[in-house]
This record gives sequence, structure tokens and C-alpha cells, in this order.
Amino acid sequence: MDQSHIRNFCIIAHIDHGKSTLADRMLQLTGTISERDMQAQVLDDMELERERGVTIKASAVRMQYTAADGETYEMNLIDTPGHVDFAYEVSRALQACEGAVLVVDATQGIEAQTLANLYMALEHDLELVAVVNKIDLPAAQPDEVAQEIEDLIGLDAADVLQVSAKTGENVPQVLEAIVRRIPPPKGDRAAPTRALIFDSHYDSYKGVIAYVRVFDGVIRRTDTLRMMSTDTELEPVEIGIFNPHMQPTDSLSAGEVGYIATGLKTVRECRVGDTVTLAEGGAPEPLPGYKQAKPMVFAGFYPADNDDYDALRDALEKLQLNDASLVFEPETSQALNFGFRVGFLGLFHMEIIQERLEREYGLDLVATSPSVEYQVVLRNGDVIVITSPADLPDESEIAEIREPWMFIEIFSPEEYIGAIMELVTGRRGEYVSMEYLDAKRVLLKYRIPLAELIVDFYDRLKSVTRGYASLDYHFDSYRPERLVKLDVLVNKQPVDALAMIVHEDEAYRKGQKLVSRLKRLIPRQLFEVPIQAAVGKRVISRANVKALRKDVLAKCYGGDVTRKKKLLEKQKKGKKRLKMIGNVEVPQEAFMAVLRLNDDD
Amino acid sequence: MGNGEAFFGTLYGNIPAELALYIHIPFCEARCSYCAFNTYVGQRARVPAYVRALQAEMRLAAEALPRVPVSSVYFGGGTPSLLAVDELGALLETCADAFVLIPDVEITLEANPERLSPRDFRAWRALGFNRVSLGMQSAREDELRLFRRTHTLADVRAAVEAARAAGIPSLNLDLIYGVPRQTPAAWRESVQAALALAPDHLSLYSLGVEEKTLLHKQIARGRVPPPDPDLAADMYELAEELLARAGYRHYEISNWARDGHACRHNVHVWRNRPYLGLGAGAHGNVAGARYANLRRPSDYIARVAAVAAGDARSTLLAAPAAEEIAALTPADVYAETVILGLRLTEEGIAPCAFAARFGRDLWTLYGAQLRRLLAWGLLEQSDKGRLRLTPRGRLLANRVFVEFV
Repeated sequence: MDQSHIRNFCIIAHIDHGKSTLADRMLQLTGTISERDMQAQVLDDMELERERGVTIKASAVRMQYTAADGETYEMNLIDTPGHVDFAYEVSRALQACEGAVLVVDATQGIEAQTLANLYMALEHDLELVAVVNKIDLPAAQPDEVAQEIEDLIGLDAADVLQVSAKTGENVPQVLEAIVRRIPPPKGDRAAPTRALIFDSHYDSYKGVIAYVRVFDGVIRRTDTLRMMSTDTELEPVEIGIFNPHMQPTDSLSAGEVGYIATGLKTVRECRVGDTVTLAEGGAPEPLPGYKQAKPMVFAGFYPADNDDYDALRDALEKLQLNDASLVFEPETSQALNFGFRVGFLGLFHMEIIQERLEREYGLDLVATSPSVEYQVVLRNGDVIVITSPADLPDESEIAEIREPWMFIEIFSPEEYIGAIMELVTGRRGEYVSMEYLDAKRVLLKYRIPLAELIVDFYDRLKSVTRGYASLDYHFDSYRPERLVKLDVLVNKQPVDALAMIVHEDEAYRKGQKLVSRLKRLIPRQLFEVPIQAAVGKRVISRANVKALRKDVLAKCYGGDVTRKKKLLEKQKKGKKRLKMIGNVEVPQEAFMAVLRLNDDD
Repeated sequence: MGNGEAFFGTLYGNIPAELALYIHIPFCEARCSYCAFNTYVGQRARVPAYVRALQAEMRLAAEALPRVPVSSVYFGGGTPSLLAVDELGALLETCADAFVLIPDVEITLEANPERLSPRDFRAWRALGFNRVSLGMQSAREDELRLFRRTHTLADVRAAVEAARAAGIPSLNLDLIYGVPRQTPAAWRESVQAALALAPDHLSLYSLGVEEKTLLHKQIARGRVPPPDPDLAADMYELAEELLARAGYRHYEISNWARDGHACRHNVHVWRNRPYLGLGAGAHGNVAGARYANLRRPSDYIARVAAVAAGDARSTLLAAPAAEEIAALTPADVYAETVILGLRLTEEGIAPCAFAARFGRDLWTLYGAQLRRLLAWGLLEQSDKGRLRLTPRGRLLANRVFVEFV
């Protein structure tokens, strides 16, 4: 297809604002997928994504659309991940497009992440088609929302389309607007080949499938290709387009979107953002903007049953096939034995991985509380990087500890400003600015330590704003802070998996909370168990779990020894799930207790 | 006399060829708030058919077993005292006919101390009952009300008097402690009221809140506070002291008796010796298997009738109405022997007796566990090597037993 008849676009929307429903309607209207095959939300492959109502991995689909002008266009819809942890993936998907459809819920207005992605789209010079969705709902305020869009990004409110993806109302207008307003790609088909990898997934038959947008030149099935950042050369197993499922073709030309089945064994050799060129006569320069995804959040993952260690490693390796941003290495804990230190893009990413390990791989996990990456300057001048509180050197060796700070933006109705202020400042946040978006909605900007952000900040934000606030964040800088290691001692023995790095001013409060929480979580043992929180040698909080006095089965009916034995067997099984710290049995929940320290109870 | 050796086989080891019978009467007039047993209210009309089924089950079981002597017959429930005298008489008659009862066989009847007349006790004595166990539960009205018991302390006094007058030679009272809102003083009151009646035997049960009971619901809904286990431990220790002072021997975790009045039936079970469970939902342990009968009386009656008519057959012939049968391995028998035997707080487990019975060395089998439990202070060892629960171990017996499963 000549480039003038190609349109590459993505949809930018907040979770639940109707991105997937709109995509479904487009697929139906263009006959890409028949009514009968219509599986709700085709673009979201995984069960988990559908349940959460978000898209984790980008995907792409090609549609043939015959427009009002009688011409047939090749429309490539590139899906974008819907969560803040995947900002880099979003930026690569945006780079693959010439335009974007902005979808805003007519009952909700624009949200923080949408705006963040929108600014990103504007940075990439994308042409925007703004759509107000859900006009069928009684609470819809399409005109007000259209005005908000005009105020925020200067699009004429009159050009904002008002649709209902659910009923299909005005959806054809969206397709027309894409054809008329979004420019065709302007690649040079004679230039050395350059294609952007904007997503990938692992296929057990064809190896890594790279999702590509060709910018210049042509890729043929018979070409030997080269990944420019890793210098990996490969002969494609197959190339093709998404229609909506993979359909092999002989070539992909400048302006087109498709896939390359690379035969590679891991997504690490085929990174999102990298440029594909030809091995011979390749491009001298890659496409701009490649960077390697960097994990920000780290946690220890341990099998509840030590025998599952190999199964956990296998599962992590399998997930890594599809997720280049997932990193892990073996870790040993005195309390939890053998496990892995796993790095994630953010807390949401961590939750997804944990849930997939448990659900898809049937693993029973103990996850330690998440940590960030600290830079520790030693007295001898060396700088070391640690991702686990257990790795912090002795106080006497430390000159300075630096922690990552984030820049955050919160969108919220104005009545929650006070609650948000309180939440953020209670977590060492620094006020930057506040702007009114309209009479009722504000955009609050802060800087805040990532460590404060990853411990249930988002849940608390949602709860103090009754779900109305939205959040976007990105890395700001590393800052030296007065940080100390808070040790927890159970029966006078420090428990590495419970240690945390906290701000000096918070140590006392957190120590007390942690101790009282652990007191409730640790069952009574045959002896009294002291639980202490300490900074260095100084104990700052202490509580005792009293010794157990009574554990005996009463009368058993009619000599029912079998039932009695079953109860004992259950008790024994329960004991097996407990982790031994010295001679104290500690339940797995205790290791997550740190996560809930900010709750008011 | 049949061949006891063949019946016991080697699985139970070298023990006297003796059998105990447990007969379950699953009917009650009202349901107690804590009761999770296999009991039914409002099925009085089913009793005649149930009695016939019990007679048939006894005959079928006896046919499947060698004619070993029976040393105890225990009527438990439910409320066995609900049965009419002629119904109890018919059951005992079949019992004596189908099995070989030893001359001084212990025959126990569990009775609800309500609306019992001296005539009832005289009739039971005449039938051969020589032990009566009364469900006193508490001396306090508030606790009895919480339990949904309809008797009073006066009823208990009258029942004890009537039992003595009728010449019942061994009398037990059940009490429950660790009750929601119960204070140690309230518990002392119940224990002293029971002692004032000079029973031969006392069973003190810690209240267990079982699922699907009224009490469980009340606690879940916050209408009744949950029992406090530490307070229950205090009460147990208080009772140990009061009963010791009154001359009772603490021979099992929950049981105290005057010399010569330990319950022979229960001691037999705790020594892990074979017993037949007869009736709906009854449990038994014979011929190398533990079994449980069908729970619903209607199912049980139908099954016994079908087996008697030759239309059905149980894989364990001695348990024609069994719903579940679990064959025991030697390892099961060793572990159960230790777990049950340690409940006997005076007798405990003697390695020499264990070796004589099974030809196995206790320390070789369970050395690691025993050493741990001794170190934790839950078990103690006498000069002759006999192992017993320590006073603390009695309250933490589950922690001991779990080591052997």
C-alpha cells in the first residue's frame, strides 16, 4: 500500500474510559473481525488484563477501511499500555504513530495519566483526534468535557467528537476523522531500512515476535536483519501483519506496521525501542529515543514451600521471556531461605508479576516489602548501590545515603486538596505547584521519595479521594537524606527479611507500628517471644507475644479418633507454612506487615 | 470362646482379647448451643425402627467377629436416656445374646438430668446399668441458659439422689469450663457444687466452639464474646487443685475419678484397643480399620436393613453400616497408641509396655520427637522410663500430639 493510504494511530485513554470498547467498534465497522468472532476486548489478550480492565502489553492490529472519499485505507491501531509503570513502552508506541485518538469519559473528564500521555504524544508531534466517550450515560457532560480538552491542549471544542463506543453512536465519524486529520507516514522507501520495535512477545514456535513500525526502506522475509543496540543479527522466521491475528507477508515497507518473528530466545535480545536494520547496507544511525527499561522497585520473592524454589525460577524465566523489564537474581535470607531479588518498573508491575506467578504458575509466594535502589556513599569514598535493606553496610562505614525522588502529578476534584496535601506531606512529599484546570478540578504537583510512593500510596490516594484522583509519576533525582536502617528482632534475633530503610524522623513511629502489627500476626509460641524494633543498637520499640498456655482438643465424640487426627494433621500442615526464625514460627503475612504501616488503626 | 488371636491379628499387638461396645443414640429433645455431635431433634417417632436397626447391626457385627469377651458397653449420645426402659432393655438383651459380656462388664448410660424419676434409675439398675453419666455442665443458671440446657441445678441434685437411692454404683458428672463470660469464681462455684454431690467421676470439658453450632453463630455475630483460652487454662488449673484436694485422681486430660472409678470404656479406647461403634455416625476400630457409620438415622436404618436382607455388603464385615473405612498401617497404630496413651495422665506410655505389645522400640520410632517434647517441658519421664504429659503439657496436648502425626 502506498504511504498516502496508510494511517498509524494509537488511542490514549484512562483506565475505564472506553479505549477497548472503541477499538472493538472500529474492528467491527471495518469488518476486521466478524460479529460472531467478536470476543469482547480483543486487544487485551490475557485474562488478568481483562479482569483488571487495563492493558499491560501493547498490541497492534491492521484494519482496511473504505472512507467517504471512496478510497480504501490501511489503518494500523497500535495499543498502548494503560499504566504509569509502563511510560517508556507508551512512548515507543507513540513514536510508531503519526496520530492519536484521545478518548475521555464524558462523565469523568481528563485524568492525570491521560494528560501525561497526551503531553508525550504532543512531544512526538502526533496529530490528535479528540473523542468524548460514553455520551449515552445520564451523567455525561460532553460539552463541558470538550471545553476542558480545549482549555488544556488548545484543540477546538467544536472538533471534539462526541460518541458512545458502547452503542456505536458516531463511531464512524472517528474513522473518518482519522483518515482526514492524521497525516500519512512520510518514510523514504529507498533509504536504508529502519524499523522501530515498539513491543514484543515470546512465541514458543517462532521465538520472540517483534512488533515493528517501518520508518524507512523495506524489510523482506529473506533479508538478514540486525538489531542496532545489541548488534544481534538474525534471519527472520517469518514477517507479517496483524489482521487481527498474525498473517505472514513477504515484505513490510516504510510506513507499515507489522511483526518480525525473530527466532530469538529471549526478549532481552530484542528490546523495545531498538531499531531493526539490514545486516548489509544497514542504516548508519538508529531511530532516536532508545533506552533500556530500568527497574525502580525491588522485592524478595520466596517460595512458601522451599521445595518450590526451582519452580519459581522457571516461572520467572518464562515471564522474563515476554518482559524485558523484569529482572531477578538469587537471594538468600536467613528467615526465608532461598529466593530471588526481583526488580520491577513500579509497584503495579510488581503486583502483576506476583499475581501471575500465583495464578498462572500455581506458586505460593512470600514477598518481602518492596524497596527502592539506594546509593550509599561510604566513608572511603566508594559508592555502592543497594536494593535490599539487608545489604546496607554498618552505620559506621556510611557517609551518606541517597534515595530516588519522583516528580508526581495528581488530578483531583478540588474538594480533596486538603486530604491529598495531608497524604503527600505525611510521606515527606514536597509541594511544587497547584493549577486549576477548571472551576472544580486541580492539578497538584509534588516531589516525593519513591520509597514513600511504593508502599500503598496509590491505594491511599484513591481512598482519600473516593477514587476520583489520578496519578502520574516519573523519576526526578537522587537526593541525600537522613536515612537509617530499622531492624526488627524476633526473640532477640534480627530478621533480615523484615528490615527496612526509613527516614530518621519516621523511625520511631514506624518501629512502633511494625512491632504492634507483628505482635498481632505472630502466633503465641511455647515460650514468650519479645519483638523489638531497633535502629543500630538502640531499641526503639518492644512488645511481647505471650507464651501459649492452652492448646488441647476437648472431648471427641464417640471415639472419633479419625477426626481428631485430621485436626492434628491440619495443624501440622499449618505449621509447615510457617517460617522458622530461630525457634519462632512466623506466618508469611508478617513479612508483608511493613506494607500496611501507614494505615490508621 | 472364639479365636481372639485371629481377630486381633498382629496389628494391635499383644493385648488382651477384649472388645468394647459404643452404642450411639443420636436423638435429643433440644439442641445444646455448643453441640456439633451427630444428633437430631424431633425424631422421637423413629426410635423404634432405630432400636431394631441397632439390634440387627449388633448381630451382623457379632457374626463377623470371633466371640471375644466384651468388657464395656457405653450408651452415648445424643440423649440415650430418652429411650424407654423396654427399648434399652431390648438393646442390652441383644447385646448379651450376640456378644460375650464378661461378668463384671461396665455398662454406662449417658443421661440428661431432666425429668428423671427415681423409678428410671431403679429400672436402669435392674437392666444391668452400673454407671450413669449426667450432663450437669454447670451449676449456674446463666451458663445453662447460654448452653440452651433446660435443666437446673436442682434437677441435677435430684437425679444424683435418685441414682444413689437406686444403687447405681458409679456416677459421673460432666462440667464445661472456658465458657464465654465465665469468671474463675463462677467456675469454682460449679466445681464445688459438683463436689458437694460426691460423684465417683468427673469429666471437665473445655468448651470448644464448633462450626455450625448456635454458639458459633452468636460469637461470629458478636452477641457472645469468644472464650478466653488463658482464662480457660486458669480454670483448668483451679479444677486440678480443687479435685486433688477432694481426693480425685486426675487419670486423663479431662477426667478425674475416685479410686476404682476410672471409666473402663474410655480407658480401653485410650489404650488404643479395639471397639465397635454401633449406631448412626458411630466410630469404631476393629479388624485393623477405623470406620465411621452413616450419619443420618434414616440412611443408617435403611443400610442395616439392606445388609441384613443380603442386598448390600460392607467391605468391613464387622461394620455393616460403615460409610468410611480407613485401613490402618502399623505406623498408624503406633502413632495412635502414643497419642491416645499420652492422654492417660497417670499411665502415659511405658516404653517397655510398648515394646511388649508391638515388639518395637519407642525411642527408635520417635526419638527425635520425644527428645524435643522433653526439652520443651511438655513431657516428663519417670525413673522407669514411663512418659507422661507434664502439667503444662496437659494444657498443650495438641502440641505434643502433632509431633506424632
